[in-house]
Amino acid sequence: MGIEIPFDVANIAGPEIGDVAPPEVIGSYISSARKPLLVVGSEMLRDDFFVEIAIEIGKKGIPIAATGHSIRGFVEKEYTENVHYYNLHELTNYLRDPNWKGLDGEGNYDFVIFYGIIYYYASQMLSCLKNFATEPLVRTVSIDRYYHPNARMSFTNIMPRMEEEYKDMLDKLVESIKR
Amino acid sequence: MEEIKKGGLVDILDLKNVNIHIGEIEAEGEGEEEWEPMGPHPMPRIATLRDWDFKLLNRYKPFYAPICDMCCLCTYGKCDLTGNKKGACGIRMDAQQGRIVLLACLVGCSAHCGHGRHLLHDMIKKFGPDVPIDFGPEVDIEAPLTRLVCGIKPKTIGDYDEVFSYVEEQIVQLADALHTGQEGSYMDFESKALHMGMLDSLNKEAADIIQIACYGMPSSHEGGGPDVPLVDVGIGTIDTNKPVIIVIGHNVPPAADIGVYLTENDLEDKVELGGICCTSIDTTRVYTKAKIVSALGRQLRVLRAGIADVVVTDEQCIRADVLELCQRVQSPMIATNDKAMHGLVDRTDDDPNKIVDDLVSGRVPGVIILEPDQVGEVAVRTALQMDKKRRSLKFILSDDEFKYYVNDCILCGGCTLACPNGLHIGEANKSAAAGNIKPLADLFDICVGCGRCEQVCKKHIPIVDVMTKAAYPQLKEEKGRMRIGRGPIWDSEIREVGAPLVLGTIPGIIAPIGCGNYPNGTKDAWLIVKEFAERNYIVTLTGCMAIDCALWKDEEGKTIYEAHHGRFDAGGVLNIGSCVSNAHIHGAAIKVASIFAGRPLRGNYEEIADYILSRVGACGVAWGAMSQKAASIATGFNRLGVPAVVGPHGAKYRRAFMSRPDIKEDWKLIDATDGSEVYVEPGPQDLLVACETVEEALPMMAKLCFRPSDTDRGRSIKLTHYIDLNQKYLSTYPPDWHLFVRGASDLPIATRNELLKKLEDEQSWKIDWKKKKIVEGPIRGYNPSFNPTNLERLIRGKK
Repeated sequence: MGIEIPFDVANIAGPEIGDVAPPEVIGSYISSARKPLLVVGSEMLRDDFFVEIAIEIGKKGIPIAATGHSIRGFVEKEYTENVHYYNLHELTNYLRDPNWKGLDGEGNYDFVIFYGIIYYYASQMLSCLKNFATEPLVRTVSIDRYYHPNARMSFTNIMPRMEEEYKDMLDKLVESIKR
Repeated sequence: MEEIKKGGLVDILDLKNVNIHIGEIEAEGEGEEEWEPMGPHPMPRIATLRDWDFKLLNRYKPFYAPICDMCCLCTYGKCDLTGNKKGACGIRMDAQQGRIVLLACLVGCSAHCGHGRHLLHDMIKKFGPDVPIDFGPEVDIEAPLTRLVCGIKPKTIGDYDEVFSYVEEQIVQLADALHTGQEGSYMDFESKALHMGMLDSLNKEAADIIQIACYGMPSSHEGGGPDVPLVDVGIGTIDTNKPVIIVIGHNVPPAADIGVYLTENDLEDKVELGGICCTSIDTTRVYTKAKIVSALGRQLRVLRAGIADVVVTDEQCIRADVLELCQRVQSPMIATNDKAMHGLVDRTDDDPNKIVDDLVSGRVPGVIILEPDQVGEVAVRTALQMDKKRRSLKFILSDDEFKYYVNDCILCGGCTLACPNGLHIGEANKSAAAGNIKPLADLFDICVGCGRCEQVCKKHIPIVDVMTKAAYPQLKEEKGRMRIGRGPIWDSEIREVGAPLVLGTIPGIIAPIGCGNYPNGTKDAWLIVKEFAERNYIVTLTGCMAIDCALWKDEEGKTIYEAHHGRFDAGGVLNIGSCVSNAHIHGAAIKVASIFAGRPLRGNYEEIADYILSRVGACGVAWGAMSQKAASIATGFNRLGVPAVVGPHGAKYRRAFMSRPDIKEDWKLIDATDGSEVYVEPGPQDLLVACETVEEALPMMAKLCFRPSDTDRGRSIKLTHYIDLNQKYLSTYPPDWHLFVRGASDLPIATRNELLKKLEDEQSWKIDWKKKKIVEGPIRGYNPSFNPTNLERLIRGKK
């Protein structure tokens, strides 16, 4: 773990900022979730590899909320079993409510993984959950190539030239999620 | 003290130590015309419409995403409010967010109010207060918002003094509520924000009506409305072989004076008058030889390109560093508004010869001229001389400079971290260094033109200039066309489309408005307009989106304005005008309620908003919303019952208004016919929501056009577009389409069987296949006589 500047450098929210963590630690953190949810955005579509990563996480029994137009990636791969389209703003509005019934009708989530979402939009939604999804606590992580201070844990900033390293990190993350 | 009765006589010579105040003088027979009985809420105060606000806020609950977890507004602080904690004054995070939203709306509303009041002062000084408000034979309801909010039917521009006085007083009261130790409820902060938004819409209407009346801008007189001419748009349309004047801002009188000077001195074809942002739109409404250089997003780059021989600023949306930018390219600057003086010296009423001489000689970088009628001469004469002086100067990088800079990039990534859109500038530089400039050229349109990248570049690369150089061949060819702003929607047009809009057979009004902080460039603006116009929605544009969508062309080489008619009718693409003109979009919705449905207008905001919320399928889209004005504009639309979609940057406004379709009680309406309670489908589902991409926004806008009043035919048309847009852009059926089905007749005929089967298989609805009817499943059945309302007082008879 270490200290990093936010990907959007001025996005310093306040005293509570999330940790930078390597994939194994985030994977282990996700593994501790009682009922996790993977929230995927449209940046995932920039490369098939990233869609496959989402599907691999989905196959570990973690349901997927596909936001933006990311659902297209899952439809193209014919993986739609536990994938549901949601608008990210509306989804976050549900997630902040402890009485929400969830995608499966059985209750809200205690852990949300943000992935493939435009940085500033994701940051705002993470801010909502940090500030208002506190009783009970909804834990959040980001596995994007950005440091997200509003998530409890996220990767460090990864510049485009480090794309292969990022892909390795995602592989390690998937491997380390135990369910 | 002796009271003087009306008509009484007093001998003034007998009076001592008396101050005489003469108020408004009402001549005999000039009292308020009884044009309509006064409604329940003329000139509403903060608490007057609070019940209506709370009806909205209980369904569309404020959603907060703080951009800062602290409050630093008083010396108790900074206070950490993370996790909805209370600060030292007792305010919680949610209320603090509501407070900041109110502050944003205050700033936005004040900008339009200040603009309108300024305009009124200038116009009264120039033309007197008695300029009639006459928008021609097709417009009887000349000022729907003024009538609705104030209960006033304005006859002359002088009548707007009372309107602005009302708004100004309300603004002060609302600003007072922001102080530490005042309001503490987020719901009440939001009610106040909605009040501010409504006032803002009134400001805008007032400002546009005043300028239309005084300058003869298009209305329903000859050549107005759908028949307004097209003008040039784009950087490539400016002939830099001529002297060039660039106007920036929103308040048109100085630019109008330039047009007058050019016309009177036979210089129309010898000098280019171009503009950036809303002043450019309004300039074309008074001087059709003017050109629209760009929307707000390209201001920095247009100025840095050095095409302006003179820059004239007025108010709003001017870069704070405009003077520095002008100095860099040796363009003298003339500031014409006391709200944006940029440290220059006020030379109003000075000898024009001296001012021109000072500007041309470079003795001063710019001047202030606060009298609009003095601007034209100085600007034009300066441009004529500066053109000769600046002709040999080049501000686009040379090939060698370009090569040097792209090679100098060390790929540190600092620019990416500083960029609002996180653009990969370094990688594009490296491609350019290797001989491929396309990635860098492609970034030009996606770049929002803020220049933050240059602030952090360790190698001091002028990144904006480098990007402009890469895109320069395309920029020279950037030549679009757009209709000039047409102003109000005609009453006669409303008579034609009122029924199809309320019944749903015209599926909706889509209103792209506002700034250029797009997530992925200007082409999205074009796509939004094209998609909905081709689907027979009515598309009404204002401001930067009206400009940006005109930069792109279809396969036949036509801009969106050339490809579609300009009537307020199915498939129309209308440039309503500048930011202040978007009050006419409110006005169109209000006129539907008034003209088509015969609802009383005067001082009757709550009822009209209730009507619009339940029956008028309209949806705003501010895809690049950036400013505080955009915040107050959207909030004003929301109070009137019109939802809005914003781009992903819009999430930074901190607040959204979204409903919960899964909470049945939130969707209980009243049937005004008999007072019965009816649970309805979620239409519109949200009042303010952000979408991540344009592909997501398109079906979202179609969804937000559903209304409980839709007829089955109208609903089937709306459902067709909602499903089709989902399939086209999201490759799937919308997960909630079934919520909008009340019976089989709501389903499109062409796909009715397929959809019934899906309802049976996926939603376990019971279908009578012989009769092709839905037996069980929908939230409610279709009732053609349903008369939806949220207001108990509108119930006609109890069941």
